[in-house]
Amino acid sequence: MSAVLAAVLGASLAGCSSTGGKRAEDERAAKAAGGRAAVDTPRWTFAMVTHSGAGDSFWDIVQNGAKQAAAKDNIKFVYANDEEAARQSQLVQSYIDAKVDGLIVTLAKPDAMKDVVAKAEKAGIPVITVNSGSAESKAFGALSHIGQDETVAGEAVGEELNRRGRKKALCVLHEQGNVGHEQRCDGAKKSFKGELQKLYVEGTNMPDVQSSIESKLQADGAIDSVVTLGAPFAPTAVKAKEQAGSKAEIDTFDLNAQVAAGLQDGSLGFAVDQQPYLQGYQAVDLLWLYKYNSDVLGGGKPVLTGPQVITKKDAAALQEYTKRGTR
Amino acid sequence: MTALVELTDVSKYYGSIRALEGVSLEVHAGEISCVLGDNGAGKSTLIKIISGLHQHDAGSFTIEGEEARLGSPREALDRGIATVYQDLAVVPLMPVWRNFFLGSEPTKGRGPFARLDVRTMRETTRSELLRMGIDLRDVDQPIGTLSGGERQCVAIARAVYFGAKVLVLDEPTAALGVKQSGVVLKYVAAARDAGLGVVLITHNPHHAYLVGDRFVLLKRGTMAGSHAKSEIALDELTRQMAGGSELEQLSHELSRAATPEFPGGHRSD
Amino acid sequence: MSSTAVPSPAPSGPPAGGAADDGLVRRSPVRRLMGRPELGSVVGAIAVFVFFSVVAEPFLRASSLSTVLYASSTIGIMAVPVALLMIGGEFDLSAGVMVVSSALVSSMVSYQLTANTWVGVGVSLLVTLAIGFFNGFLLTRTKLPSFLITLGTFFMLTGLNLGFTKLISGTVSTKSIADMEGFDSARALFASRLTLGGVDIQITILWWIVLVAVATWILLRTRVGNWIFAVGGGADASRAVGVPVVKTKIGLYMGVAFAAWVSGQHLLFSYDAIQSGDGVGNEFLYIIAAAVGGCLMTGGYGSAIGAAVGAFIFGMTSKGIVYAQWNPDWYKFFLGAMLLLATLLNAWIRKRAEAKA
Repeated sequence: MSAVLAAVLGASLAGCSSTGGKRAEDERAAKAAGGRAAVDTPRWTFAMVTHSGAGDSFWDIVQNGAKQAAAKDNIKFVYANDEEAARQSQLVQSYIDAKVDGLIVTLAKPDAMKDVVAKAEKAGIPVITVNSGSAESKAFGALSHIGQDETVAGEAVGEELNRRGRKKALCVLHEQGNVGHEQRCDGAKKSFKGELQKLYVEGTNMPDVQSSIESKLQADGAIDSVVTLGAPFAPTAVKAKEQAGSKAEIDTFDLNAQVAAGLQDGSLGFAVDQQPYLQGYQAVDLLWLYKYNSDVLGGGKPVLTGPQVITKKDAAALQEYTKRGTR
Repeated sequence: MTALVELTDVSKYYGSIRALEGVSLEVHAGEISCVLGDNGAGKSTLIKIISGLHQHDAGSFTIEGEEARLGSPREALDRGIATVYQDLAVVPLMPVWRNFFLGSEPTKGRGPFARLDVRTMRETTRSELLRMGIDLRDVDQPIGTLSGGERQCVAIARAVYFGAKVLVLDEPTAALGVKQSGVVLKYVAAARDAGLGVVLITHNPHHAYLVGDRFVLLKRGTMAGSHAKSEIALDELTRQMAGGSELEQLSHELSRAATPEFPGGHRSD
Repeated sequence: MSSTAVPSPAPSGPPAGGAADDGLVRRSPVRRLMGRPELGSVVGAIAVFVFFSVVAEPFLRASSLSTVLYASSTIGIMAVPVALLMIGGEFDLSAGVMVVSSALVSSMVSYQLTANTWVGVGVSLLVTLAIGFFNGFLLTRTKLPSFLITLGTFFMLTGLNLGFTKLISGTVSTKSIADMEGFDSARALFASRLTLGGVDIQITILWWIVLVAVATWILLRTRVGNWIFAVGGGADASRAVGVPVVKTKIGLYMGVAFAAWVSGQHLLFSYDAIQSGDGVGNEFLYIIAAAVGGCLMTGGYGSAIGAAVGAFIFGMTSKGIVYAQWNPDWYKFFLGAMLLLATLLNAWIRKRAEAKA
C-alpha cells in the first residue's frame, strides 16, 4: 500500500494534467446556492425512501434538490433506497419506527408499499409521493404526488419525433421489467406516427449496451432514431451508431452533463427532462409547508415536473447546472 | 553407520491432545522400516513430521546425523525425503507425464521464456516406468485411468528418479487387492535394493513382514514395541498388532456366539 | 453440467499393457484432438454460428462480425483468467465489480489530483492487483471456500465503489476525464479502433487474443501451468510434492485482477465517465463462458482457448438474437436456451470423444 501511495505522490508531482480534472472544476466558481436556514421552525426530520438501485445518478439530483430545500427550511434530511420493493417498504417502516416528522416515498411497485404508507398515515406522519405512483398516491392517502407521468413523457417523445419527421425509432430499455420504462416506450409508440421497436439491453454492462444497439442498427438500416431511457446510455448509443455506420439520430430521456454537452455539439437530437431536482426540492418544501401551515398542493391531482423537451438552444444554459448536479 | 533418518523419543501435541509421545524410529539405507498401528495410532502424525508438514514438539529428529526441523514438504524433498501418500499421491485428471514431474519440472530457455521440456518429460516418464516394469503405451492419459497399484508405482518411480534417499510410503497397499498389493510390494523391495531407506506405514502385518527389516508398533500415540526382523516371528507381530490380549478376548466372545473364527490381520480398507 | 464433463478418472481404464508394442508413445492426432477440453465448445460455436448465419441475414456481414467479436472480447478478456482460476479450483465472484473498481480508481485519481491520466492508469493497476492479492491471500489463509471469500469481497467492492465515488465526486458517476492530458494516448491503448480491410476492429479484440495466447502458453508449456492444473486437481497431492500451492492460487487471483484492470481501463476510456453501480452480475458471464468452454466447475481441467470460445458463443448468441430481430420480450429466454443448448452439445461431444479416446 505504501508503494501505491508513493506512486500517487511521485506521479502526481511529475504528471499533472494542465487540462480538465478537479482543478478545472474548482475554477468553475459556479456553486450550488448557499445552505443557511431561512426560517426558525423547529428542526424536523424528513425521510426519503426510493426504489433506486445503487449508483443511479438520477437520484443524486433528486437528493441534491431535497437537501437544498432542507437547508433552507431547517430540516434534517435523511435518505435510504432499495430497488427491491419488500426491502424498500421495510426501510419506510424503520423510519416510521424512528418517528420521523415527514416521509417522502416512491411508489414504483405500489402494492408492496400500500401497507406501510397506511401505517405512516396512522402514526400521524404526513407522506408525499414522488417520481412514480401518480395513479395510487391519492388512494393511499398521500398529501400530494410530485413527478412526471411516464406515459405523458413518452407521448411527448413521440410528438417530438413526428415534428422531426422520423419514420422508424428504436426504444432502448436498460432494465427489463421496469413498469415506468415500458410506459415511456408505449407512450412514445402511441403518439409516434412511424414504427417504434423495443430493444432490451443489460444496463449494468456498458459494452453490452453498445454492442446490442450496434447490432440492431446493423440489422435494420431503416432505423432513423434511437431513444435511450436514461441519460448515461445516450453517449453509448452515439458510439454504437458511429461504429455501425448508421445515420440515426440519438435522443434520450433525462439529462446529465454528458447529454447536455451532446445536445450542444449536435451528437444528440433532444432530451426529455423530468427535472429531478424539482421533485426532491418540492417534496421537502411541501412537507414543510404542511407542517408549518397545513398547506397542500395539487388539489388531489399529481403535480407534474415534466416532460420538458430540451434541444440544442436550451443546452448551453443547462450545461453549467448539469455539471454541479442540479439538472 | 549413521541412520539416514533417526527419531528419538519424538512427541507431538495438538493443543492439549497428545498425538505422539516418545516414539523412536531408525531408517537405514537399503532397509525397510515398517510402522504398524491401527487407525488413530499416530501413524499419520509420524509421517507428517518426517515429510515436513508438521514439526515435532519434543525429542530429536536427525537426518544423516544432523538435527533437523523441516518447515515444508519442499524442504524435506530437498533433504532427500520423498513421501508417497495413500490416496493423494497423484493428481488424477493430469496426464501421467505431468504427474511424474509435478513440482520438479525441467525447463528449457530463460526468464519469462522458460518453458517445459515436454519431450524430455515424456520420454523420461516412459523410460523410468519401463525400468520399474510398467509399460505405458500412452503417457498422455490421465493418471486417474491407471489402477491404484500402478498409481502408487508411478509415485514410487518418481521418488526414485528424483534421487530420494528416504522413501516414506503411507499405506501403499491399503486400498488394493491381493495381487495389486504384491506388485506394489515388489516395487518397494526394488526401491530398497536400489539403496533407498524405506519407511513403510501399514496396518497389515503380513505385508510388513514380507519386506520389512524393522518393525515399530504404535498404539494410541505411544510406541508399543520395536523389533528387528530377527527378533520377532510373524505370529507374534500379528498378535501384537491386532491388540494382543484384546484379540484373545474378542476371539473368545465370537466363538461363544458360534460365529466363524476371526480371520485376523488383513482388512481390505 | 460439470458431472457429465468429467473425463472419467475411474481406476478401471485399460492401462499398462503387459506386452510392449512398437514403442508408440504418442496418440494419433485425431485421438489427441478428441481429448482436448475445448473440442465440445468449438463444435458448439460452429453450430451457433451456422444457426445465426441461416436465421439472421445481417449476421454474416463483416461489420456485424466485428460487433459480435467486440461483444465477445469484453467478456472474453475476463473469461480467460477466470478459466485459469477455475482450473486452479477456485471462483472469483468479485471479478465483475472489480472491473468497475479499477475504472473508478483510475478515473478518480486522475481527476481529483488533476494528474495526467496515465498516473490514474498506473495507480489503478497497483490497486487492482492488490485486490486480487487480497482475495488470494484471504483464501489461502482462512482456507474457506472461495465462493464465500469472494462473495464477501464482491459486496465490499460494490459498497466501496459507490461510497468512494459519492464521497469524492459527490455523485454516483465519475466526472468525465476526456479533456485531460494523456487521455488520447491511453484511449489508443485501451479503447481505440483499427481499420482492417474496411472493417473496424476494436482493440479489445487484440487484447483478448493476446491474453488467450499468453494464458495458453502458461497453462500448457510452463511450470506454473503444471501447478495450476495440479492445485485444482488435487491441492494436497500438489503440496506433498512441493508445488507452491499458496503462491499459485494468489497468482491466479492476481491474473484475474490484471484482466479486470484491462477491462476497467477499456470501460473508462471508451465511455469517459463511469457509473459506480455497473459490473454487478458480469462475474457469472465470465464463469459461464469458462464453463461452456469446457472448464470443470470442480477444477483441474479446462483450457484458455475453450473459455475464449465460450465467450464467443455468448457474444454470438446475445447479438445474434438482435440480428435475427426476434421479439425482444423473450430475449433473455432465447439467450438462456441457446447457451444451455451449446453447453449440452459440448458435454455430449466430449462424452462421445472420451468414449472413443
